Amino acid sequence: MKQGRSNLLEKDSTKSVLASLISILIGMVVGGVIIVIVGLGNPNLGIKGALDGIRLVFFGLFSTGRVDNALTFGFNSTNMGDMLFRATPLILTGLSVAVAFKTGLFNIGAPGQYLMGTAATLMLALGIPSEVVPTPVIWVIAFLGGMLAGALWGCIPGLVKAFLNINEVLACIMTNWIAANLVTWMFEGSNFRNLVENTKSGYIYKTTYNGVQTAKLGLDKIFPGSQVNAGIIVAIVMAVLVYILMNKTTLGYQLKACGANRHAARYAGIADKRNIVLSMAIAGSLSGAAASLYYLSGNTEFFWSTYQSLPAIGFNGIPVALLAASNPIAVVFTGCFMSMLDIVGMQLTNLTAYNEYITDVIIAVIVYLSAFSLVIKMLLNGRKKHKIQAVPEAKAAAAAPPPDNGGTAEGKGGDGV
Amino acid sequence: MRIMEAENIIEMLHITKEFPGIIANDDITLQLRRGEIHALLGENGAGKSTLMSVLFGLYQPEAGEIRKNGEVVRIKNPNDATALGIGMVHQHFKLVDVFTVLENIILGAETTKLGFLQKKEARKKVEALSEKYGLKVDLDAKVEDITVGMQQRVEILKMLYRDNEILIFDEPTAVLTPQEIDELMATMKEFAKEGKSILFISHKLNEIMAVADRVTVLRKGKYIGTVDTKDTDKQSLSNMMVGRPVQLQVEKEPAKPGEAVLEVEHLCVPSKSHKRDAVHDVSFTARAGEILCIAGIDGNGQSELVYGLTGLEKCSEGKVTLCGHDISHASIHHRGGDMSHIPEDRHKHGLVLDFTLEQNMVLQRFREPRFQNMGFIKQGEVRKYAETLIEQYDVRSGQGPVTIARSMSGGNQQKAIIAREIDREKPLIVAVQPTRGLDVGAIEYIHKQLVAERDKGKAVLLVSLELDEVMSLSDRILVMYEGEIVGELDPKTTTVQELGLYMAGAKRMGKDGEGA
Ligand SMILES: Nc1ncnc2c1ncn2[C@@H]1O[C@H](COP(=O)(O)OP(=O)(O)OP(=O)(O)O)[C@@H](O)[C@H]1O
Ligand SMILES: [Mg+2]
Repeated sequence: MKQGRSNLLEKDSTKSVLASLISILIGMVVGGVIIVIVGLGNPNLGIKGALDGIRLVFFGLFSTGRVDNALTFGFNSTNMGDMLFRATPLILTGLSVAVAFKTGLFNIGAPGQYLMGTAATLMLALGIPSEVVPTPVIWVIAFLGGMLAGALWGCIPGLVKAFLNINEVLACIMTNWIAANLVTWMFEGSNFRNLVENTKSGYIYKTTYNGVQTAKLGLDKIFPGSQVNAGIIVAIVMAVLVYILMNKTTLGYQLKACGANRHAARYAGIADKRNIVLSMAIAGSLSGAAASLYYLSGNTEFFWSTYQSLPAIGFNGIPVALLAASNPIAVVFTGCFMSMLDIVGMQLTNLTAYNEYITDVIIAVIVYLSAFSLVIKMLLNGRKKHKIQAVPEAKAAAAAPPPDNGGTAEGKGGDGV
Repeated sequence: MRIMEAENIIEMLHITKEFPGIIANDDITLQLRRGEIHALLGENGAGKSTLMSVLFGLYQPEAGEIRKNGEVVRIKNPNDATALGIGMVHQHFKLVDVFTVLENIILGAETTKLGFLQKKEARKKVEALSEKYGLKVDLDAKVEDITVGMQQRVEILKMLYRDNEILIFDEPTAVLTPQEIDELMATMKEFAKEGKSILFISHKLNEIMAVADRVTVLRKGKYIGTVDTKDTDKQSLSNMMVGRPVQLQVEKEPAKPGEAVLEVEHLCVPSKSHKRDAVHDVSFTARAGEILCIAGIDGNGQSELVYGLTGLEKCSEGKVTLCGHDISHASIHHRGGDMSHIPEDRHKHGLVLDFTLEQNMVLQRFREPRFQNMGFIKQGEVRKYAETLIEQYDVRSGQGPVTIARSMSGGNQQKAIIAREIDREKPLIVAVQPTRGLDVGAIEYIHKQLVAERDKGKAVLLVSLELDEVMSLSDRILVMYEGEIVGELDPKTTTVQELGLYMAGAKRMGKDGEGA
């Protein structure tokens, strides 16, 4: 009995989960403290506003509005469904970063891959005439096109790393900005720009303009009033596929071997260069898929003049992966968690005098702590052993930049819902 | 002889340390007298490094206590150890590669004035120490650029700089050349004469007999006994540690060389660090059914020759033929079809340390239909295969096939690699320092295996720095000096002295003399 329990505590995965939970908890507590401070300093809020704020931070997902000036809570299908909808691309960029981590690479190029995926998806979804081709077929083509574009864009840093031995982080950052400018340029002269609704300058048509839209598969019945669609199911399936790829196949074995010890992989006759390129391509395709699913939903619009900013969804894949300790299945949950914070932000804005930036602060704290979760894990390990650590991940975590809120706040485009 | 005070400076009493699946130290007691050299002997995985790590504060024991000068002390981390005057040179060094030698020595014990480093004073102290003990180092060289021997001197200076009086050496000689070993032995004796107390781990019984006053023997985590070296000999020590009589001599029939397996013609391999070729115009043939040994002092091109043969590095000129195929430009994977390779550096090339033992066992073979089906790994088969190899080669670890390679003891990591490579059943086995870091029992077993492979008709190309191994195991010896083969000798007719002359470059055969 006792043996069994201590073994469970000993297990590496248990420690990872524990470490992530601790960082999330600390992040939310810090967020709560900030809310109290802001609340007490603001005459509109006061102590009651602060208490409401804290309740929303923790239970915002279940908030059902206000009755008689008191917050009410319960099952909120809109919130739930929207959480799943927003989690879809985060899960995929999270997978993208996680796959790279597992193979010893730091894919900070997810935003660029996401942008290239966006461009390819939209051009295919809007460009293929729906009078000729059935819309479900267009959907599939656009989805695969988005993945392919992301994969190709991911290859570039992979190639540079494999053959020129230039750090992938540098190459990724450069390709991100190249993508931002390239995409702007590609759409600038195109006739995909939404000129019909002239209140909306700078946006591309929704894919529904061409009749292309992700199926709902009855999810809208379960979560009425929300934007949820079958994309979340695709994302979960992809997570399972990535898990299988990494843990059950010879390809995953090779990729991980190259990541963990490139010299040993080469010694064993594994083509190390090919595998580095391949793992970046897989990572890129996942970021591309994130973009495809987001824009194929039919209710999202793309702000094309994006040369000054990079999509936050790409960067947020980093904390999603870190919190999940790069486990593809765990990414599904951490992705949902991050999107839940989004929902919480909206609840705060709608129901209290706080603005949604407070959740950005909480997210930022959690992101910092997600890098810290490796330290927490080390501390959990500390009593026992010192040496056995996932070194590449720790390094990547240390190198992980903040979640680039610059990309989200102003000058943002991407997410015109 | 020095005066033997019966006073113990360090006592480790009833120490127990567990790891998942294994009790690495089970009620072990070790008493170190002031001014003695105390050797720690035991098979691979017996728990020597673990016991020393407990003393150095890296691990906390589950039970037992440590006393210094009779007083109970708690050593919670290496800083506590340093404060108590305990220093350690680890089995795998712990230096910062991009720092200079001086920076490495003072790291963590910096003298500062108003927050500024006092490098000058530090340098003076280090220079004085290095002078006094003849530990030659280049203080301004980066650690990544210096030899292992010098790295070790840096580790030793680090201990001296901290005025440590209890010095722990974990397998210090495994990576040294014979000359360096002699120097180290002399330095250790010097330390002891000054009253420092030394704990010394080694698998080489010669060394233990030469320097140690007493030996403590461990077996499978248990304390077996402590003996005075003057009252014992090599044979009884090895019996004591293995628990059965060990054969220290290799027994083998004369070789019956068959056809050529590996033919090397005028091979050149460029050097990484200087313009001269690391391997220059080397030609030889390895035949089925013989153990061909490449002897030489470390750094004379043996490593590069192996890189060139195995494909880890590109050859600039020459031709390599393996089993009748020209492989001069073939990929590593392709060459692996007919060649297995026990690499020199087990951590760099031999293992993926973060993988489990079973994953490491199929590092080359995972593509074979036996272990995969349509790209899916047959987990059950891999497990079964790993279990057979572990059983057959007695690879000891905490959790068997699922042990993370990094947590295994150095010698058992090596055994795992050897098991994997020999079991691949290739016509050519390239074995570089195969027994480095292995205990006498394991060496006996590995030598037997290599001879058995030879008798099965395989060609074995053995690269070894150890003269004993070269003389006892090989059927034919090629000596390398400065990247060239300077002599071919027959171990039955040559002497160690003659071999030494060739290795030192004092003697060489004419070009035509080779391969005749
Ligand atoms: N950090 C660790 N985690 C889990 N198991 C460990 C760890 N360190 C050592 N072990 C296990 O404890 C046992 C003793 O290991 P140790 O390194 O002390 O052996 P050793 O006597 O130094 O052997 P060698 O001569 O091969 O270096 C081994 O079975 C090893 O697998
Ligand atoms: Mg050891």
